[in-house]
Amino acid sequence: MPKKKVIETKKLGRVFINGDIEVHALSEINISIEEGEFVAIMGSSGSGKSTLLHILGCLDQPSSGEYYLDGVFVNTLNKNELADIRNQKIGFIFQSYNLLARTTALENVELPLVYDRTGRFSNSKELAKKALEQVGLGNRTHHKTNELSGGQQQRVAIARALVNNPALILSDEATGNLDSRTSIDIADLFVTLNNEGKTILMITHEPEIAQFAKRIIYLRDGHVLTDELIHNRSTKESALKDLELIT
Amino acid sequence: MKQLLKTFKVAFKSINKNRTRSLLTALGIIIGVAAVIMTISAGEGATQEVQNQISGLGTNLLMITTKKEHRAGIDVRMGRRIEKKDFDILQKNSIWMSKLSPFIASGVRAIGPQGNKSTTIYGVSSDYFEILSREIVSGDVFTEEDVNSARKYCVIGETIKEELFAGTDPVGHQIRINKVPFTIIGLLKEEGKGTMGQDQDDMLIAPYTTILNRLYGHRSGYNMIMASALSENHIVDAKIEATELLRESHRIKEGEDDDFEIMTQIELQEITGNVTGILTLILGAIASISLIVGGIGIMNIMLVSVTERTREIGTRLAIGARESDILTQFLIEAIVLSLAGGVLGILLGIIGNQIIYKATDFYIPTDVNSILIGFGFSVLVGVVFGYFPARKAARLNPIDALRYE
Repeated sequence: MPKKKVIETKKLGRVFINGDIEVHALSEINISIEEGEFVAIMGSSGSGKSTLLHILGCLDQPSSGEYYLDGVFVNTLNKNELADIRNQKIGFIFQSYNLLARTTALENVELPLVYDRTGRFSNSKELAKKALEQVGLGNRTHHKTNELSGGQQQRVAIARALVNNPALILSDEATGNLDSRTSIDIADLFVTLNNEGKTILMITHEPEIAQFAKRIIYLRDGHVLTDELIHNRSTKESALKDLELIT
Repeated sequence: MKQLLKTFKVAFKSINKNRTRSLLTALGIIIGVAAVIMTISAGEGATQEVQNQISGLGTNLLMITTKKEHRAGIDVRMGRRIEKKDFDILQKNSIWMSKLSPFIASGVRAIGPQGNKSTTIYGVSSDYFEILSREIVSGDVFTEEDVNSARKYCVIGETIKEELFAGTDPVGHQIRINKVPFTIIGLLKEEGKGTMGQDQDDMLIAPYTTILNRLYGHRSGYNMIMASALSENHIVDAKIEATELLRESHRIKEGEDDDFEIMTQIELQEITGNVTGILTLILGAIASISLIVGGIGIMNIMLVSVTERTREIGTRLAIGARESDILTQFLIEAIVLSLAGGVLGILLGIIGNQIIYKATDFYIPTDVNSILIGFGFSVLVGVVFGYFPARKAARLNPIDALRYE
C-alpha cells in the first residue's frame, strides 16, 4: 500500500520582484514527502530554504507550480483558508521559540487550539498537558516561560506544534539558539516523535543535526541539488561521543 | 460566538500581563469620564437650582416691562415707559389678574445707627408681598393706605438689619435713605443667596408712591408692573388680557408690534432653562475633549503594544489565527481598557460630586444621563481609537512579523 503523501510540489517556483529586478528565489522544486518521513533541508544562506519553508508552511504562496499539503491544493486558498490549514495541518517550531512571555507552558501549548474552528478538540487543557508529557515536561506545566531554560522553552514550543495533531511538523532552525548538548537532546526528541509516526521537516544548517534525519535535501540557488536517504543516521549516543572527541 | 469568547479571554490575559501600563492608559479615560459626569451634573444641578428659585417666585407671576433690545452689550429701551396710566388701566379693567404692583428699583445709600451701606430700594404696592409670597418675620408690611398717602415706611432685609442695626430688631426705628428718614415697620424673612450669588436680603422695600414723590420728586416711569394671575390656569388669559389692554392704551394699530413685553414665570423658566442648558452643553463639550485626549492615549499605547508584540502576532498568525482574530483581540483590548476607564471614571465622578457637595454645600445630583453619556463615550473612544492599531496588527505579514526583532 503506497503511503499517503504529506507534501507534494510540482515545479514549484517563487519570484520576488524588487523594483525592476526579478529574483528567482525558488525554481522547479519537485519534492514529495510521505507520511512518517523525517527530512532535513540544508543549504547555505540564500539557497532558498527559508522561502521554501514559508511556502510549505502556507505562510506564503508560490508564484508558479503546484503545492499539495496532505492532499489539499494550497495554491488557490485565500488568507482565511491558509490560516485554517496552518492551524489544522501544520505544527511550527521556530529558532527563537516564539512563546508568549509571562505565560504558563500549558497556556502556550493551548494556543493553537484557541484558533481551532473545527471544534474537533473538546478538552484543550487535557490535550496540552498530554503534549507537554510527550516532550518530557509533564512536571513543568504551570511554569511560566521565563522560568524555563532554552531547551525547555523549545520543548514547550514542540509541544505546541504537537497539540493540534498536525499532518506535518515544520522546524525552522529549532536548535539554532541552543548549545550542542541541548541541540542533540532536541534532535533526539525529533527522532522519538518520528518513531511515534510524526512527519517532520526541519531546516537546519548544522550537518550534525541534519544527520539525525532519514533523508537530506540540499538546496543551492533555489534548486534542489541533492535529495538522498541517510545510511548512517546519528543517534544521541553517537552524537554525544563525537562531541566529546571534539572537546 | 465561541470564538469571540476565546478572543475575549486572550485580550483579558494580555491586559492583565501589563497591569501598570493598562492602568496608566485607562487614566486618560478615567479623568475624561469623571470630568464629563461632574460638569454635566453641575450644569444640571445649577439648572435645577435656578428653576426652583424661579418657581419660588410664585407660579402665577407676570412681569410687564417696556420693550428692550440688546445692543452692544446693554439693554436699550425701545418702547414707551411703563407708567402710572398703564398700571391704572390694568388695575381697573383686569379680570384675570388678581394682584398688581408697580415695581421701581433704585440704588441708594442707607444710613442706620451702626453704619451706612449702599443697597437697593424697591418701590412697590402692598400687593407685592403677596405676588412674590415674601414673608415678614417682625412687624408688618405697609397697607394700601400707606401707599396712597406715600408714607415714609419701609420694610428691610436681614442683611440691612445685620449691618446697620447690629442684629437687633429694627422695627420702629428710623433709617435714612438718601438723607430722607424712613420708619422701619417690618423685617423680611431671610432668603439667602440667589442663583447668581446675589444677596437677596440686601434690600429695602417701600411704597412706590413714597419713592416717586419723596425720594425723586418727579420720576414717573416704572421698571415694570408685577401681577399675579387668578390661578395657574389663567396665566395665558391674564397675558392676553394685559396685552390687549396695553395695546389699546398705547394706541397700537393692528399689525404693529407691541411696545412692551409680558413675561410669565413659565417663560422665564424656559429662557433660563435654555441658558443653563447651553452652558451645560458647552461645559460637557469641553470635558469631552479630555475624553478624546484619553482616546489618543489609548491609541498611542495600542500602537506601541502592536509594535512590541509584532513577533507574538506573527506567531499567532503562523499557528492559525485569522486576521479577524487578531483584529478582534486588539480591538477588545482597547475597548476593555477604555470601558474599565469609563467605569472607574463614573465612580470618580460620583465621588467628586459628593466631595463638592460636602465642601461647598452646592448639591449636585449625579445625572443618570451623564453616566450613560460617559459610559457610551468610553466605549466609542475604545472602538474608534482602538480600530487603527488593531487593523495595523491584523494586516501584518506573518513572515515579516516572525522575523521582527
